[in-house]
Amino acid sequence: MLDSGLRVRPDPHCIRGEPVPGAFAHVSVGEPIPYDSPEIQQARRDVLAWWIGLLGETLICVTTLALDSVHCVGAITVATDASRFADDPFARSFPAVVVQSDLFCRVVPPPGPVVERYSGVAWPGGRFDG
Amino acid sequence: MSSVATVFTDLELPDHTGRVRTLSELAGGDPLALFFSRGWWCPKEQRFLRGMVALQDEFEVAYSRLVVVSIDTPEVQSAFRAGLGARFTFLSDSGRRYLDELGLRETTDTVHHPYRPAAFTLYPDLRVHRAYNGYWYWGRPTTEEIRQDMRAITSAIRPDWELD
Repeated sequence: MLDSGLRVRPDPHCIRGEPVPGAFAHVSVGEPIPYDSPEIQQARRDVLAWWIGLLGETLICVTTLALDSVHCVGAITVATDASRFADDPFARSFPAVVVQSDLFCRVVPPPGPVVERYSGVAWPGGRFDG
Repeated sequence: MSSVATVFTDLELPDHTGRVRTLSELAGGDPLALFFSRGWWCPKEQRFLRGMVALQDEFEVAYSRLVVVSIDTPEVQSAFRAGLGARFTFLSDSGRRYLDELGLRETTDTVHHPYRPAAFTLYPDLRVHRAYNGYWYWGRPTTEEIRQDMRAITSAIRPDWELD
C-alpha cells in the first residue's frame, strides 16, 4: 500500500521467495498511466533490450506496479548495487527514490520479447498455464 | 534431437547475460520459435536475425517467445543482440554441449565448429510443430511461415481461440 492509500500489485514472485537482505530498491511511483500507453510500452521494451543486461549479476528482480486491470502506477527494480538506477527506464515516467530493503526476492528476469501482461498480472509476472 | 524426435531437448545453457536458463523456462507456457545460428560473423545469420528483429514487434504482443542458440560466448551474444536491436533471448553453447546430441554440427566450417542453421517451432511443452533445415538459406522459415506456425500452435493451446 502506498502512502497515498492506493493498493498496488507487484509481480508476486518478487515477494514470495527467499528475501535478499540489504538490497537496494529503486521505487518509481506516480500518477496512474495506462499500461498500453506508448511510454509504458517502451519502458518495458527497454527493460528487455538493455536494462537487465546493464544491471547484470546485481539485478535481484524487476516489476511494474499495477493499480487495476488497466493502469500502471510505477515500477520497482531491486539490485545489490544502486549505482545504475539513474538509467531506470521507468524513472522517465514516474518520480523515483532509492530505499534499502530486505523484502524482495531474486527472480529470474523476463526473457522477452513479450511485453503484454498475462491476465492482468503486473508485468513481467504471470503466464497462461499457471 | 534426431530428425524423428517429437519433443525437443530441454536445453540448459547460459543466456546472453550469463544466467543459466532452460528452454522450458523460456517458453513459459507460450509457443516458441527456436533458431540455431552459426554465429555473429556469418552474413546469412546477420540477415536472417534482422528479419527476426522485425518480427519481434509481433511476438511481443502475441504471447510467443523467440530464442536463438549459437556457439558465441554470452558477452559476444550480448553485443550482437544490442547491435541487432533484439529483445529476445540468446543462449550460448560456447562449450558445444548440444552440438552432436542435436545432430546439428555444421560440416563446412571446420574452424568455428558452429551449429548448422536450423529452426524449430515448438509447443510450450517443447513438442515440435515444424522443423526447418537452414543450411541453405532458402530452407529457413520465412516470417510468414513463422506466423502461420505460431497461429497453428496458439490455436491448439488456447481454449478460447474460436468464437463462440
